[in-house]
Amino acid sequence: MLNIKNLEATIDNKHILKGLNLDIKPGEVHAIMGPNGSGKSTLANVLSGKNGYEIKGEIKYNGDSLKELSTEKRAQKGIFLAFQYPLEIPGVNTNTFLRTSLNSVRKAQGEKELDTLTFLKLIKEKASELGIDEKFLSRQLNVGFSGGEKKKNEILQMKLLQPKLSILDETDSGLDIDALRIVADGVNSYKNKENAFLIITHYQRLLDYIKPDFVHVLSNGKIIKTGNADLGVQLEKTGYSNIV
Amino acid sequence: MKQNYDFKIEKIKDLSPEELIVRKKNLDLFYQAGFPNKKDEDWKFSDLNLILSNNFSNIINNDFFPKVKEFEIIDEFEHNFISLFNGKLISTDFSYEEKSKIFINDYDYKNEISLDNKNSLYFLNNALATGGFSLEISKNYKLKKPLVIYNNFSNLLKETIINYKNSITLNENSELNLINYINNSSKENFMVNTIENIKIKKNSSFNNILINSSKCNGYFYKYIKSDLEKNSTFENYLLSSGLKFNKLDVEINLNEEHSNSSVFSALNLMNNEHQEIKTRINHNTPNCNSYQKVKNVLNDESKGVYQGKIFVKNIAQKTDAYQLSKALILNDAAEFDAKPELEIYADDVKCSHGSTSGSIDLNSIHYLKSRGIPEKEAYQMLINGFLSEILEKLSEGKLKNFLKEKLERQINGY
Repeated sequence: MLNIKNLEATIDNKHILKGLNLDIKPGEVHAIMGPNGSGKSTLANVLSGKNGYEIKGEIKYNGDSLKELSTEKRAQKGIFLAFQYPLEIPGVNTNTFLRTSLNSVRKAQGEKELDTLTFLKLIKEKASELGIDEKFLSRQLNVGFSGGEKKKNEILQMKLLQPKLSILDETDSGLDIDALRIVADGVNSYKNKENAFLIITHYQRLLDYIKPDFVHVLSNGKIIKTGNADLGVQLEKTGYSNIV
Repeated sequence: MKQNYDFKIEKIKDLSPEELIVRKKNLDLFYQAGFPNKKDEDWKFSDLNLILSNNFSNIINNDFFPKVKEFEIIDEFEHNFISLFNGKLISTDFSYEEKSKIFINDYDYKNEISLDNKNSLYFLNNALATGGFSLEISKNYKLKKPLVIYNNFSNLLKETIINYKNSITLNENSELNLINYINNSSKENFMVNTIENIKIKKNSSFNNILINSSKCNGYFYKYIKSDLEKNSTFENYLLSSGLKFNKLDVEINLNEEHSNSSVFSALNLMNNEHQEIKTRINHNTPNCNSYQKVKNVLNDESKGVYQGKIFVKNIAQKTDAYQLSKALILNDAAEFDAKPELEIYADDVKCSHGSTSGSIDLNSIHYLKSRGIPEKEAYQMLINGFLSEILEKLSEGKLKNFLKEKLERQINGY
């Protein structure tokens, strides 16, 4: 599904990713761990198509190069990034945003756009699965939401858009145990043979709830070690310094 | 730059010899000054003389008043209406109201023309004004439905200026929601110069909204002078995106205690549109509130101006005055000028003002795009989020929905 070869990324003259290789197949859950400043969030940004990066190397998604695709096209093709810091958008109603988003994706995929009523029924159902109060949906997007509420809102968007590849950028940060479990349940219930996850995290604790098939250690812009779920457990005990 | 114009008072019918003299005097005063230019402090960001000479080759005063009764009616909400054609009162419909409570007439110029020295457009208006209306709401009468004033302009108004005056009086304990609706989509250039005198008596409430049907190549100047009595409220909403040029010049006199005024504006300016809001809020007495919130989005080569002045007289203790301007500048060639002013002679007052301008947050754009929303729509969503806040205070209902939809259409370029 995703094939990254020798990926390099530079921003503001800072060389951050320095030859990263990664292959993700449908149905797989990959975790990327690594110390601060190793390039984890840059990888997420680059995959989402954020402007400002100078990119070298190859990123293929289902065989097609991603590099030339705009952020919205990538999203329409099924790539989803759950933001580390979801943005607050004053004046934009959460429901309106969610419907515009879903319909943009549906339209691009040649599906019929949903009318307001059908959409509201769908979103109510998805929100209740995640324990999100309906009231949040009529508020301004993320404005005044707690950290946990923002992250739940990200997972809600994921479940609504049904992406093929979901990238979770430190979704566990700022979550208490209950919120963490809800987020993890949200991911687990969406997981299937067709879709894949790339979970970026500092800590093992999210991986206690979402079991990864592969754990990669990112350091200084490269993946320096890859293992199974046990690697994460080991890192939690010994820290990065033994590997890096 | 030389401005060519050819104004003829003789085009105005049925003037008494006295009127003719006063009008000629005013026209002379106008000729001495010409159209306002940037040397005049009040016009320093909107050099009207230059703007007109760049866009008009000759300007004449209008004497064309078609008897057209047909025009497109808003069907989104129930309303009464007054229809003007080229400034002249053509028809009225108050079918939702008790007709004996509302007085609507042609504006009476007989004893009204003075030699006010406000600015040269005032002289020009005094000299050439014809048409307009006077509206009076009876004591203790609250209109059940909003009143729309359809400002229709003929599509043949090339290089023409229309001048007229209106007067609106709300007697004690009355209420009016007014929508000034500019209904024209002509490609021709024309100018409208309006002077409006508003009196809001004790315990009355007046909501004054300015909006337009579509993009329009008209150049509008309107001077509103308003006087508020005790416990009265005057709210203004300026939603006039799409006009080629517009300057709203509002003077609000808070003359008796516990009166309130507000000025809200939400403008999304495109191409080379140019709009200015100039306010002067006079706190002439204690315990009054004034509130101003002006939001502009500047695209392309557009220009927005806000000159807001709060004047607090020495006796006007416990004044609460607030003024805020926020602008989003989306293009290097666009411009926004703000001149907030406070002139305070009382010592126990609460006055605050602020002005910010910046660009759109690209991280927010990225966030929306990452959810599959195309870039253009992402911008429109953020602009709408920024501007629609202005409508928050309006009570929920069909009128508010209408304004929201209009605003959205303005943002999407009609």
